[in-house]
Amino acid sequence: MSVASVPFSFSRLSLIAGNTFLEAVRQKLFNFLLLLAVGLVASAQFFREFNFGSSELKFISDFGFGALIFFGSALTIATTAQLFFSEIENRTALTLLAKPLWRAEFVFGKFLGVFAVIGVFCALTIGLMMALLWHREGQLMNIRPEDFANGRLIAYGDLLVVGVLQWLKFGVLAAIVLLIASFSNTNLFTVVTGFFVLVICHLQYLARDAWGNVDNAVLGLVVRALGFIFPNFQLFNLADQIGQGSGLSPVVALQVAGYAVAYIGVIGGLAVYSFRNREI
Amino acid sequence: MSQPVAAISIQGLTKDFSVTLRGVKLRAVDALNLEVAEGQVYGLLGPNGSGKSTTIKIILGLLDATVGDVRVFGVPANRVEARRNVGYLPEAPYFYRYLSGRELVKFYARVCGVSGSRLRTRVDEVIDWVGLSGAADRRVGTYSKGMLQRIGLAQALVHDPKLIVLDEPTAGVDPVGSAEMCELILKLKQQGKTVLITSHLLAQIEDVCDRVAILDRGKLIVEGSVLELVGQRDRQALIVDPLPEADLEALRGWLAARGHSLNAVEQPRARLDQLFLSKVSRPGRPGGASAGVGSNEVPLDAKP
Ligand SMILES: Nc1ncnc2c1ncn2[C@@H]1O[C@H](COP(=O)(O)OP(=O)(O)OP(=O)(O)O)[C@@H](O)[C@H]1O
Ligand SMILES: [Mg+2]
Repeated sequence: MSVASVPFSFSRLSLIAGNTFLEAVRQKLFNFLLLLAVGLVASAQFFREFNFGSSELKFISDFGFGALIFFGSALTIATTAQLFFSEIENRTALTLLAKPLWRAEFVFGKFLGVFAVIGVFCALTIGLMMALLWHREGQLMNIRPEDFANGRLIAYGDLLVVGVLQWLKFGVLAAIVLLIASFSNTNLFTVVTGFFVLVICHLQYLARDAWGNVDNAVLGLVVRALGFIFPNFQLFNLADQIGQGSGLSPVVALQVAGYAVAYIGVIGGLAVYSFRNREI
Repeated sequence: MSQPVAAISIQGLTKDFSVTLRGVKLRAVDALNLEVAEGQVYGLLGPNGSGKSTTIKIILGLLDATVGDVRVFGVPANRVEARRNVGYLPEAPYFYRYLSGRELVKFYARVCGVSGSRLRTRVDEVIDWVGLSGAADRRVGTYSKGMLQRIGLAQALVHDPKLIVLDEPTAGVDPVGSAEMCELILKLKQQGKTVLITSHLLAQIEDVCDRVAILDRGKLIVEGSVLELVGQRDRQALIVDPLPEADLEALRGWLAARGHSLNAVEQPRARLDQLFLSKVSRPGRPGGASAGVGSNEVPLDAKP
Protein backbone atom coordinates (compact mmCIF):
# COMPACT_ATOMS: atom_id res chain seq x y z
CA MET A 1 0.00 0.00 0.00
CA SER A 2 1.43 3.32 -0.96
CA VAL A 3 0.78 6.25 1.33
CA ALA A 4 0.88 9.82 0.13
CA SER A 5 3.90 11.59 1.52
CA VAL A 6 3.55 14.42 3.99
CA PRO A 7 5.31 17.49 2.58
CA PHE A 8 6.99 20.05 4.81
CA SER A 9 4.30 22.57 5.60
CA PHE A 10 4.70 26.22 6.46
CA SER A 11 1.14 26.38 7.69
CA ARG A 12 1.85 23.71 10.32
CA LEU A 13 5.04 25.53 11.19
CA SER A 14 3.17 28.79 11.68
CA LEU A 15 0.48 27.01 13.72
CA ILE A 16 3.14 25.91 16.16
CA ALA A 17 4.72 29.36 16.15
CA GLY A 18 1.31 30.89 16.81
CA ASN A 19 0.63 28.50 19.64
CA THR A 20 4.02 29.24 21.20
CA PHE A 21 3.36 32.95 20.97
CA LEU A 22 -0.10 32.44 22.46
CA GLU A 23 1.43 30.57 25.37
CA ALA A 24 3.62 33.56 26.12
CA VAL A 25 0.62 35.88 25.85
CA ARG A 26 -1.69 33.80 28.01
CA GLN A 27 0.97 33.12 30.62
CA LYS A 28 1.04 36.87 31.12
CA LEU A 29 4.64 37.15 29.96
CA PHE A 30 3.81 40.30 28.07
CA ASN A 31 2.56 42.13 31.12
CA PHE A 32 6.01 41.56 32.53
CA LEU A 33 7.72 42.67 29.33
CA LEU A 34 5.71 45.85 29.19
CA LEU A 35 6.52 46.59 32.81
CA LEU A 36 10.20 45.95 32.14
CA ALA A 37 10.31 48.18 29.08
CA VAL A 38 8.47 51.01 30.79
CA GLY A 39 10.69 50.65 33.86
CA LEU A 40 13.85 50.78 31.79
CA VAL A 41 12.94 53.78 29.76
CA ALA A 42 11.52 55.58 32.76
CA SER A 43 14.76 55.08 34.65
CA ALA A 44 16.67 56.67 31.77
CA GLN A 45 14.39 59.66 32.28
CA PHE A 46 15.30 59.61 35.96
CA PHE A 47 19.06 59.61 35.35
CA ARG A 48 19.03 62.44 32.85
CA GLU A 49 19.35 65.17 35.50
CA PHE A 50 23.07 64.40 35.77
CA ASN A 51 24.08 65.71 32.39
CA PHE A 52 22.21 68.48 30.78
CA GLY A 53 22.44 69.36 27.12
CA SER A 54 22.52 67.51 23.83
CA SER A 55 24.89 64.87 25.20
CA GLU A 56 21.94 63.94 27.34
CA LEU A 57 20.22 62.56 24.25
CA LYS A 58 23.20 60.35 23.58
CA PHE A 59 22.97 59.16 27.14
CA ILE A 60 19.31 58.21 26.77
CA SER A 61 20.02 56.29 23.60
CA ASP A 62 23.07 54.51 25.09
CA PHE A 63 21.14 53.64 28.17
CA GLY A 64 18.20 52.36 26.13
CA PHE A 65 20.36 50.14 23.95
CA GLY A 66 22.35 48.90 26.91
CA ALA A 67 19.15 47.89 28.63
CA LEU A 68 17.79 46.34 25.43
CA ILE A 69 20.93 44.26 24.97
CA PHE A 70 21.18 43.16 28.56
CA PHE A 71 17.56 42.38 29.31
CA GLY A 72 16.86 41.21 25.77
CA SER A 73 19.64 38.60 26.03
CA ALA A 74 18.44 37.35 29.40
CA LEU A 75 14.88 37.30 28.21
CA THR A 76 15.77 35.46 25.00
CA ILE A 77 17.62 32.71 26.83
CA ALA A 78 14.98 32.29 29.54
CA THR A 79 11.99 32.45 27.20
CA THR A 80 13.40 30.10 24.60
CA ALA A 81 14.34 27.48 27.18
CA GLN A 82 11.03 27.88 28.99
CA LEU A 83 8.81 27.66 25.92
CA PHE A 84 10.73 24.63 24.67
CA PHE A 85 10.83 22.72 27.94
CA SER A 86 7.23 23.46 28.87
CA GLU A 87 6.42 21.32 25.86
CA ILE A 88 8.79 18.51 26.88
CA GLU A 89 8.20 18.57 30.63
CA ASN A 90 4.43 18.73 30.38
CA ARG A 91 4.61 15.95 27.80
CA THR A 92 2.51 17.94 25.36
CA ALA A 93 5.27 17.19 22.87
CA LEU A 94 4.17 13.56 22.95
CA THR A 95 0.74 14.38 21.62
CA LEU A 96 2.03 16.92 19.15
CA LEU A 97 4.86 14.85 17.69
CA ALA A 98 2.53 11.85 17.33
CA LYS A 99 0.70 13.88 14.67
CA PRO A 100 1.80 13.84 11.05
CA LEU A 101 4.31 16.60 11.67
CA TRP A 102 7.98 16.98 10.82
CA ARG A 103 10.30 17.62 13.71
CA ALA A 104 11.77 20.44 11.65
CA GLU A 105 8.35 22.08 11.68
CA PHE A 106 8.30 21.75 15.45
CA VAL A 107 11.77 23.23 15.96
CA PHE A 108 11.36 26.11 13.52
CA GLY A 109 7.82 26.72 14.80
CA LYS A 110 9.16 27.09 18.31
CA PHE A 111 11.89 29.38 16.97
CA LEU A 112 9.47 31.67 15.18
CA GLY A 113 7.16 31.82 18.19
CA VAL A 114 10.02 32.84 20.46
CA PHE A 115 11.36 35.26 17.85
CA ALA A 116 7.96 36.97 17.73
CA VAL A 117 7.88 37.27 21.52
CA ILE A 118 11.32 38.90 21.54
CA GLY A 119 10.23 41.09 18.66
CA VAL A 120 7.45 42.47 20.83
CA PHE A 121 9.93 43.22 23.59
CA CYS A 122 12.33 44.97 21.18
CA ALA A 123 9.51 46.97 19.64
CA LEU A 124 8.27 48.06 23.05
CA THR A 125 11.69 49.12 24.29
CA ILE A 126 12.82 50.84 21.11
CA GLY A 127 9.43 52.46 20.63
CA LEU A 128 9.38 53.88 24.13
CA MET A 129 12.98 55.00 23.85
CA MET A 130 12.34 56.82 20.59
CA ALA A 131 9.25 58.48 22.04
CA LEU A 132 11.26 59.66 25.01
CA LEU A 133 14.10 60.94 22.80
CA TRP A 134 11.68 62.78 20.56
CA HIS A 135 9.98 64.39 23.49
CA ARG A 136 13.23 65.43 25.19
CA GLU A 137 14.77 66.62 21.96
CA GLY A 138 11.76 68.85 21.47
CA GLN A 139 12.26 70.33 24.91
CA LEU A 140 15.99 70.87 24.37
CA MET A 141 15.34 72.54 21.03
CA ASN A 142 13.39 75.18 22.92
CA ILE A 143 15.95 75.58 25.68
CA ARG A 144 19.10 75.71 23.52
CA PRO A 145 18.10 76.38 19.94
CA GLU A 146 21.76 77.07 19.01
CA ASP A 147 22.58 73.34 19.33
CA PHE A 148 19.85 72.44 16.87
CA ALA A 149 20.57 74.90 14.07
CA ASN A 150 20.26 72.11 11.51
CA GLY A 151 17.08 70.61 12.94
CA ARG A 152 16.83 67.43 14.95
CA LEU A 153 20.07 65.63 15.78
CA ILE A 154 18.81 62.11 16.33
CA ALA A 155 18.64 59.82 13.29
CA TYR A 156 15.47 57.98 14.21
CA GLY A 157 15.56 55.78 11.14
CA ASP A 158 19.02 54.55 12.09
CA LEU A 159 17.85 53.86 15.63
CA LEU A 160 15.12 51.69 14.22
CA VAL A 161 17.57 49.80 12.00
CA VAL A 162 19.90 49.13 14.93
CA GLY A 163 16.89 47.93 16.92
CA VAL A 164 15.97 45.49 14.18
CA LEU A 165 19.56 44.25 14.03
CA GLN A 166 19.51 43.64 17.76
CA TRP A 167 16.32 41.67 17.29
CA LEU A 168 18.05 39.53 14.67
CA LYS A 169 20.95 39.02 17.06
CA PHE A 170 18.50 37.76 19.67
CA GLY A 171 17.21 35.45 16.95
CA VAL A 172 20.71 33.97 16.61
CA LEU A 173 20.83 33.60 20.37
CA ALA A 174 17.40 31.92 20.42
CA ALA A 175 18.57 29.47 17.74
CA ILE A 176 21.65 28.67 19.85
CA VAL A 177 19.49 28.07 22.93
CA LEU A 178 17.18 25.81 20.90
CA LEU A 179 20.19 23.86 19.70
CA ILE A 180 21.30 23.36 23.30
CA ALA A 181 17.75 22.49 24.38
CA SER A 182 17.40 19.94 21.58
CA PHE A 183 19.81 17.59 23.30
CA SER A 184 19.75 18.83 26.88
CA ASN A 185 17.55 17.20 29.49
CA THR A 186 16.88 20.13 31.75
CA ASN A 187 15.82 23.71 31.54
CA LEU A 188 18.52 24.79 33.99
CA PHE A 189 21.37 23.26 32.01
CA THR A 190 20.06 24.95 28.89
CA VAL A 191 19.84 28.36 30.52
CA VAL A 192 23.29 28.16 32.11
CA THR A 193 24.94 26.94 28.92
CA GLY A 194 23.04 29.57 26.99
CA PHE A 195 24.51 32.35 29.11
CA PHE A 196 27.94 30.84 28.76
CA VAL A 197 27.68 30.84 24.98
CA LEU A 198 26.29 34.38 25.08
CA VAL A 199 29.42 35.57 26.87
CA ILE A 200 31.63 33.77 24.36
CA CYS A 201 29.76 35.34 21.47
CA HIS A 202 30.19 38.79 22.94
CA LEU A 203 33.84 38.41 23.85
CA GLN A 204 35.20 36.17 21.11
CA TYR A 205 36.47 39.17 19.16
CA LEU A 206 38.86 39.87 22.04
CA ALA A 207 40.38 36.45 21.66
CA ARG A 208 40.62 36.92 17.93
CA ASP A 209 42.33 40.27 18.30
CA ALA A 210 44.76 38.97 20.90
CA TRP A 211 45.68 35.57 19.52
CA GLY A 212 44.40 35.43 15.97
CA ASN A 213 47.75 36.52 14.54
CA VAL A 214 50.17 34.85 16.92
CA ASP A 215 53.05 32.87 15.47
CA ASN A 216 51.75 29.59 16.79
CA ALA A 217 49.83 28.40 13.73
CA VAL A 218 47.77 25.82 15.62
CA LEU A 219 46.61 28.27 18.25
CA GLY A 220 45.80 30.83 15.61
CA LEU A 221 43.76 28.29 13.73
CA VAL A 222 41.85 27.27 16.84
CA VAL A 223 41.02 30.86 17.68
CA ARG A 224 39.88 31.57 14.15
CA ALA A 225 37.79 28.39 14.10
CA LEU A 226 36.14 29.42 17.36
CA GLY A 227 35.46 32.82 15.90
CA PHE A 228 33.75 31.08 13.03
CA ILE A 229 31.71 28.64 15.09
CA PHE A 230 30.46 31.23 17.56
CA PRO A 231 28.82 34.23 15.94
CA ASN A 232 30.42 37.54 16.80
CA PHE A 233 27.77 39.54 18.65
CA GLN A 234 30.00 42.60 18.73
CA LEU A 235 29.17 43.16 15.05
CA PHE A 236 25.65 44.10 16.01
CA ASN A 237 26.65 47.01 18.22
CA LEU A 238 26.16 49.72 15.64
CA ALA A 239 24.50 52.19 17.96
CA ASP A 240 27.78 54.10 18.32
CA GLN A 241 27.85 54.84 14.61
CA ILE A 242 24.53 56.62 14.70
CA GLY A 243 24.90 60.33 14.41
CA GLN A 244 28.57 60.13 13.43
CA GLY A 245 29.57 61.40 10.04
CA SER A 246 27.28 59.98 7.41
CA GLY A 247 25.41 57.78 9.88
CA LEU A 248 24.68 54.12 9.53
CA SER A 249 25.74 52.58 6.23
CA PRO A 250 22.92 50.58 4.66
CA VAL A 251 25.45 48.15 3.21
CA VAL A 252 26.87 47.39 6.63
CA ALA A 253 23.38 47.00 8.06
CA LEU A 254 22.42 44.57 5.32
CA GLN A 255 25.65 42.61 5.76
CA VAL A 256 25.06 42.27 9.48
CA ALA A 257 21.46 41.21 8.88
CA GLY A 258 22.62 38.61 6.36
CA TYR A 259 25.21 37.39 8.86
CA ALA A 260 22.45 36.88 11.44
CA VAL A 261 20.09 35.12 9.04
CA ALA A 262 22.86 32.78 7.90
CA TYR A 263 23.70 31.82 11.47
CA ILE A 264 20.01 31.33 12.32
CA GLY A 265 19.64 29.03 9.32
CA VAL A 266 22.70 26.94 10.08
CA ILE A 267 22.20 26.71 13.84
CA GLY A 268 18.47 26.02 13.37
CA GLY A 269 19.36 23.25 10.95
CA LEU A 270 21.73 21.73 13.51
CA ALA A 271 18.99 21.95 16.15
CA VAL A 272 16.61 20.06 13.86
CA TYR A 273 19.27 17.46 13.18
CA SER A 274 19.91 16.94 16.87
CA PHE A 275 16.21 16.95 17.77
CA ARG A 276 15.28 14.55 14.99
CA ASN A 277 16.29 11.45 16.90
CA ARG A 278 15.49 12.69 20.35
CA GLU A 279 13.45 10.24 22.39
CA ILE A 280 10.37 11.97 23.67
CA MET B 1 0.40 -9.59 -1.96
CA SER B 2 -3.35 -10.12 -1.75
CA GLN B 3 -3.21 -10.36 2.03
CA PRO B 4 -4.73 -7.30 3.68
CA VAL B 5 -2.21 -5.03 5.38
CA ALA B 6 -2.26 -5.25 9.16
CA ALA B 7 -3.06 -2.04 11.01
CA ILE B 8 -0.02 -2.64 13.17
CA SER B 9 2.69 -5.17 12.55
CA ILE B 10 5.58 -5.59 14.96
CA GLN B 11 8.37 -8.00 14.20
CA GLY B 12 11.26 -8.81 16.50
CA LEU B 13 10.98 -5.53 18.37
CA THR B 14 13.55 -4.93 21.06
CA LYS B 15 14.03 -1.64 22.86
CA ASP B 16 16.92 -0.87 25.20
CA PHE B 17 17.22 2.26 27.30
CA SER B 18 20.55 3.26 28.73
CA VAL B 19 19.72 4.04 32.29
CA THR B 20 23.09 4.88 33.82
CA LEU B 21 26.04 6.93 32.73
CA ARG B 22 28.14 3.78 32.44
CA GLY B 23 25.84 2.64 29.67
CA VAL B 24 24.02 -0.12 31.54
CA LYS B 25 21.03 -1.06 29.43
CA LEU B 26 17.50 -1.71 30.47
CA ARG B 27 15.54 -3.92 28.12
CA ALA B 28 12.03 -2.47 28.09
CA VAL B 29 10.73 -4.54 25.17
CA ASP B 30 12.20 -7.92 24.29
CA ALA B 31 11.84 -9.62 20.90
CA LEU B 32 8.18 -8.75 20.58
CA ASN B 33 6.05 -9.98 17.68
CA LEU B 34 2.51 -8.66 17.32
CA GLU B 35 0.00 -8.22 14.59
CA VAL B 36 -3.17 -6.13 14.92
CA ALA B 37 -5.62 -6.67 12.08
CA GLU B 38 -7.70 -3.81 10.79
CA GLY B 39 -11.04 -3.37 12.56
CA GLN B 40 -10.01 -5.06 15.78
CA VAL B 41 -10.06 -3.75 19.31
CA TYR B 42 -6.77 -4.98 20.69
CA GLY B 43 -5.81 -4.95 24.35
CA LEU B 44 -2.21 -4.69 25.49
CA LEU B 45 -1.97 -5.83 29.09
CA GLY B 46 0.79 -6.23 31.60
CA PRO B 47 2.00 -5.12 34.99
CA ASN B 48 3.63 -1.73 35.57
CA GLY B 49 6.86 -1.35 33.71
CA SER B 50 6.23 -4.25 31.36
CA GLY B 51 6.84 -2.13 28.27
CA LYS B 52 3.33 -1.28 27.10
CA SER B 53 3.83 2.45 26.80
CA THR B 54 7.26 1.95 25.28
CA THR B 55 5.78 -0.28 22.58
CA ILE B 56 3.11 2.31 21.88
CA LYS B 57 5.62 5.12 21.62
CA ILE B 58 7.62 3.13 19.10
CA ILE B 59 4.46 2.53 17.08
CA LEU B 60 3.97 6.31 17.01
CA GLY B 61 7.56 7.05 16.07
CA LEU B 62 8.22 8.89 19.34
CA LEU B 63 10.95 6.38 20.17
CA ASP B 64 13.20 4.49 17.80
CA ALA B 65 13.35 0.71 17.94
CA THR B 66 16.73 -0.70 18.97
CA VAL B 67 16.08 -3.76 16.79
CA GLY B 68 13.07 -4.82 14.83
CA ASP B 69 10.53 -3.75 12.28
CA VAL B 70 7.40 -1.84 13.23
CA ARG B 71 4.85 -0.87 10.60
CA VAL B 72 1.57 0.98 10.70
CA PHE B 73 -0.65 0.11 7.74
CA GLY B 74 2.48 -1.13 6.06
CA VAL B 75 4.48 2.09 6.52
CA PRO B 76 7.57 2.02 8.77
CA ALA B 77 6.59 3.60 12.07
CA ASN B 78 9.40 6.15 12.12
CA ARG B 79 8.16 7.85 8.94
CA VAL B 80 5.93 10.88 9.20
CA GLU B 81 3.46 9.34 6.74
CA ALA B 82 2.77 6.50 9.14
CA ARG B 83 1.15 8.89 11.57
CA ARG B 84 -1.34 10.25 9.10
CA ASN B 85 -3.94 7.63 9.98
CA VAL B 86 -3.26 7.38 13.68
CA GLY B 87 -4.85 9.09 16.66
CA TYR B 88 -3.05 8.89 20.00
CA LEU B 89 -4.09 9.47 23.59
CA PRO B 90 -0.96 9.34 25.80
CA GLU B 91 -1.08 7.99 29.34
CA ALA B 92 -1.91 10.57 31.99
CA PRO B 93 -2.41 13.16 29.25
CA TYR B 94 -1.64 16.78 29.84
CA PHE B 95 -2.45 19.53 27.41
CA TYR B 96 -1.76 23.22 26.86
CA ARG B 97 -3.48 24.53 29.95
CA TYR B 98 -3.75 28.04 28.57
CA LEU B 99 -6.10 26.95 25.76
CA SER B 100 -9.78 26.23 26.05
CA GLY B 101 -10.93 22.71 25.24
CA ARG B 102 -12.30 23.82 21.90
CA GLU B 103 -9.15 25.77 20.97
CA LEU B 104 -7.08 22.74 21.87
CA VAL B 105 -9.01 20.34 19.65
CA LYS B 106 -9.02 22.93 16.88
CA PHE B 107 -5.25 23.36 17.13
CA TYR B 108 -4.64 19.63 16.76
CA ALA B 109 -7.19 19.39 13.96
CA ARG B 110 -5.33 22.07 12.01
CA VAL B 111 -1.99 20.39 12.66
CA CYS B 112 -3.53 17.28 11.13
CA GLY B 113 -4.59 19.26 8.08
CA VAL B 114 -8.32 19.57 8.78
CA SER B 115 -9.38 22.93 7.38
CA GLY B 116 -12.14 25.11 6.08
CA SER B 117 -15.77 24.49 6.98
CA ARG B 118 -14.96 20.92 7.94
CA LEU B 119 -12.75 22.22 10.73
CA ARG B 120 -15.58 23.80 12.67
CA THR B 121 -18.08 21.01 12.26
CA ARG B 122 -15.56 18.31 13.01
CA VAL B 123 -14.28 20.01 16.16
CA ASP B 124 -17.81 20.47 17.52
CA GLU B 125 -18.68 16.94 16.51
CA VAL B 126 -15.87 15.22 18.42
CA ILE B 127 -16.27 17.44 21.47
CA ASP B 128 -19.93 16.55 21.52
CA TRP B 129 -19.09 12.93 20.93
CA VAL B 130 -16.88 12.66 24.00
CA GLY B 131 -19.47 14.55 26.01
CA LEU B 132 -17.55 17.74 26.73
CA SER B 133 -19.77 20.30 24.99
CA GLY B 134 -20.68 21.86 28.33
CA ALA B 135 -17.06 22.55 29.22
CA ALA B 136 -15.54 23.19 25.80
CA ASP B 137 -14.95 26.88 26.44
CA ARG B 138 -13.22 26.41 29.76
CA ARG B 139 -9.44 26.48 30.05
CA VAL B 140 -7.94 23.00 29.91
CA GLY B 141 -5.99 23.94 33.05
CA THR B 142 -9.22 23.75 35.01
CA TYR B 143 -10.19 20.27 33.78
CA SER B 144 -10.46 17.23 36.03
CA LYS B 145 -8.60 14.02 35.20
CA GLY B 146 -11.64 12.46 33.58
CA MET B 147 -12.22 15.55 31.47
CA LEU B 148 -8.58 15.53 30.37
CA GLN B 149 -9.01 11.95 29.17
CA ARG B 150 -12.11 12.98 27.26
CA ILE B 151 -10.54 16.00 25.59
CA GLY B 152 -7.58 13.74 24.85
CA LEU B 153 -9.86 11.30 23.10
CA ALA B 154 -11.43 14.17 21.16
CA GLN B 155 -8.04 15.37 19.88
CA ALA B 156 -7.09 11.82 18.98
CA LEU B 157 -10.22 11.41 16.84
CA VAL B 158 -10.46 14.83 15.28
CA HIS B 159 -8.79 13.97 11.97
CA ASP B 160 -10.85 10.77 11.67
CA PRO B 161 -7.92 8.34 11.83
CA LYS B 162 -8.21 4.66 10.98
CA LEU B 163 -6.16 3.54 13.97
CA ILE B 164 -6.65 4.87 17.48
CA VAL B 165 -4.05 4.19 20.16
CA LEU B 166 -5.22 4.71 23.73
CA ASP B 167 -2.71 4.39 26.56
CA GLU B 168 -4.67 3.81 29.75
CA PRO B 169 -7.70 5.85 28.76
CA THR B 170 -9.52 4.94 31.96
CA ALA B 171 -6.73 5.64 34.46
CA GLY B 172 -8.06 7.99 37.11
CA VAL B 173 -11.54 7.98 35.61
CA ASP B 174 -14.54 7.06 37.76
CA PRO B 175 -16.60 3.95 36.96
CA VAL B 176 -19.27 5.96 35.17
CA GLY B 177 -16.66 7.66 33.03
CA SER B 178 -14.80 4.48 32.25
CA ALA B 179 -18.01 2.65 31.36
CA GLU B 180 -18.71 5.50 28.95
CA MET B 181 -15.18 5.26 27.60
CA CYS B 182 -15.90 1.59 26.88
CA GLU B 183 -19.11 2.52 25.09
CA LEU B 184 -17.16 5.01 22.97
CA ILE B 185 -14.57 2.38 22.11
CA LEU B 186 -17.29 -0.03 21.04
CA LYS B 187 -18.79 2.70 18.87
CA LEU B 188 -15.40 3.25 17.26
CA LYS B 189 -15.27 -0.45 16.51
CA GLN B 190 -18.70 -0.24 14.89
CA GLN B 191 -17.36 2.53 12.67
CA GLY B 192 -14.72 0.10 11.50
CA LYS B 193 -11.80 1.69 13.38
CA THR B 194 -8.89 -0.26 14.76
CA VAL B 195 -8.24 0.43 18.44
CA LEU B 196 -5.14 -0.44 20.44
CA ILE B 197 -5.72 0.02 24.14
CA THR B 198 -3.77 -0.59 27.34
CA SER B 199 -5.38 -0.76 30.73
CA HIS B 200 -5.04 -2.29 34.16
CA LEU B 201 -8.79 -2.74 34.50
CA LEU B 202 -8.97 -6.24 33.14
CA ALA B 203 -12.74 -6.54 33.46
CA GLN B 204 -13.16 -3.60 31.08
CA ILE B 205 -10.59 -4.89 28.64
CA GLU B 206 -12.45 -8.15 28.61
CA ASP B 207 -15.68 -6.38 27.71
CA VAL B 208 -14.35 -4.38 24.78
CA CYS B 209 -11.41 -6.24 23.29
CA ASP B 210 -11.45 -8.81 20.52
CA ARG B 211 -7.89 -9.87 21.16
CA VAL B 212 -5.40 -9.31 23.92
CA ALA B 213 -1.67 -9.67 24.42
CA ILE B 214 -0.08 -9.89 27.83
CA LEU B 215 3.44 -8.53 28.29
CA ASP B 216 5.73 -9.18 31.19
CA ARG B 217 9.14 -7.53 31.43
CA GLY B 218 8.92 -6.72 27.78
CA LYS B 219 8.22 -10.26 26.67
CA LEU B 220 5.01 -11.50 25.12
CA ILE B 221 3.52 -14.09 27.48
CA VAL B 222 0.05 -14.73 26.07
CA GLU B 223 -1.69 -13.69 22.88
CA GLY B 224 -5.08 -14.63 21.55
CA SER B 225 -8.74 -13.80 21.20
CA VAL B 226 -10.56 -13.05 24.44
CA LEU B 227 -13.05 -15.86 23.84
CA GLU B 228 -10.31 -18.40 23.32
CA LEU B 229 -8.42 -17.29 26.36
CA VAL B 230 -11.14 -16.99 28.99
CA GLY B 231 -14.23 -18.74 27.62
CA GLN B 232 -14.96 -22.03 29.43
CA ARG B 233 -16.60 -24.12 26.77
CA ASP B 234 -16.99 -27.19 28.94
CA ARG B 235 -19.21 -25.38 31.40
CA GLN B 236 -22.64 -23.77 31.39
CA ALA B 237 -24.50 -21.67 33.93
CA LEU B 238 -28.26 -21.85 34.50
CA ILE B 239 -29.85 -19.06 36.47
CA VAL B 240 -33.10 -20.07 38.19
CA ASP B 241 -35.51 -18.93 40.94
CA PRO B 242 -34.44 -19.96 44.46
CA LEU B 243 -34.98 -23.74 44.77
CA PRO B 244 -35.92 -25.53 48.00
CA GLU B 245 -33.42 -28.15 49.15
CA ALA B 246 -35.70 -31.01 48.10
CA ASP B 247 -36.04 -29.74 44.54
CA LEU B 248 -32.30 -29.26 44.34
CA GLU B 249 -31.79 -32.90 45.33
CA ALA B 250 -34.32 -33.97 42.70
CA LEU B 251 -32.45 -31.92 40.10
CA ARG B 252 -29.16 -33.54 41.03
CA GLY B 253 -30.81 -36.95 40.63
CA TRP B 254 -32.28 -35.96 37.28
CA LEU B 255 -28.89 -34.74 36.03
CA ALA B 256 -27.07 -37.80 37.37
CA ALA B 257 -29.50 -40.08 35.54
CA ARG B 258 -28.40 -38.40 32.31
CA GLY B 259 -24.72 -38.57 33.08
CA HIS B 260 -24.24 -34.90 34.11
CA SER B 261 -23.29 -33.42 37.42
CA LEU B 262 -24.21 -30.22 39.19
CA ASN B 263 -20.88 -28.58 39.91
CA ALA B 264 -21.83 -25.52 41.90
CA VAL B 265 -24.77 -23.82 43.49
CA GLU B 266 -24.15 -20.19 44.30
CA GLN B 267 -25.95 -16.99 44.88
CA PRO B 268 -25.30 -14.72 41.90
CA ARG B 269 -24.21 -11.24 42.92
CA ALA B 270 -24.41 -8.01 41.05
CA ARG B 271 -20.92 -6.65 40.36
CA LEU B 272 -20.08 -3.62 42.42
CA ASP B 273 -19.49 -1.52 39.36
CA GLN B 274 -22.94 -2.37 38.05
CA LEU B 275 -24.43 -1.34 41.38
CA PHE B 276 -22.40 1.88 41.26
CA LEU B 277 -23.54 2.61 37.73
CA SER B 278 -27.20 2.05 38.58
CA LYS B 279 -27.07 4.32 41.66
CA VAL B 280 -24.88 7.21 40.52
CA SER B 281 -26.56 9.89 38.50
CA ARG B 282 -25.66 10.01 34.83
CA PRO B 283 -26.64 13.37 33.44
CA GLY B 284 -26.85 11.55 30.19
CA ARG B 285 -27.73 12.36 26.68
CA PRO B 286 -29.42 9.84 24.43
CA GLY B 287 -26.04 9.16 22.85
CA GLY B 288 -24.79 7.68 26.09
CA ALA B 289 -21.92 9.93 27.10
CA SER B 290 -22.66 12.43 29.81
CA ALA B 291 -21.47 15.98 30.05
CA GLY B 292 -18.42 14.66 31.79
CA VAL B 293 -18.80 17.07 34.63
CA GLY B 294 -20.53 16.74 37.97
CA SER B 295 -24.12 17.89 37.72
CA ASN B 296 -23.44 20.71 40.15
CA GLU B 297 -20.94 22.24 37.72
CA VAL B 298 -23.11 22.26 34.68
CA PRO B 299 -24.98 25.53 35.02
CA LEU B 300 -21.86 27.44 36.00
CA ASP B 301 -19.49 26.52 33.23
CA ALA B 302 -21.34 27.95 30.28
CA LYS B 303 -18.77 30.73 30.08
CA PRO B 304 -15.00 30.41 30.35
N1 LIG C 1 12.87 7.17 28.72
C1 LIG C 1 13.20 6.09 29.44
N2 LIG C 1 14.45 5.96 29.90
C2 LIG C 1 14.80 4.89 30.63
N3 LIG C 1 13.97 3.88 30.94
C3 LIG C 1 12.70 3.95 30.52
C4 LIG C 1 12.24 5.07 29.76
N4 LIG C 1 10.94 4.88 29.48
C5 LIG C 1 10.59 3.71 30.05
N5 LIG C 1 11.65 3.15 30.67
C6 LIG C 1 11.65 1.86 31.38
O1 LIG C 1 11.14 0.88 30.49
C7 LIG C 1 10.31 -0.03 31.20
C8 LIG C 1 8.96 -0.11 30.54
O2 LIG C 1 8.27 1.11 30.75
P1 LIG C 1 6.83 1.39 30.17
O3 LIG C 1 6.51 2.81 30.48
O4 LIG C 1 6.78 0.97 28.76
O5 LIG C 1 5.92 0.44 31.06
P2 LIG C 1 4.35 0.28 31.07
O6 LIG C 1 4.07 -1.13 30.73
O7 LIG C 1 3.69 1.32 30.24
O8 LIG C 1 4.03 0.54 32.60
P3 LIG C 1 2.79 1.28 33.29
O9 LIG C 1 1.71 0.26 33.40
O10 LIG C 1 3.32 1.65 34.63
O11 LIG C 1 2.41 2.44 32.46
C9 LIG C 1 10.27 0.45 32.63
O12 LIG C 1 11.18 -0.34 33.39
C10 LIG C 1 10.73 1.87 32.56
O13 LIG C 1 11.42 2.21 33.73
MG1 LIG D 1 2.40 2.85 30.58
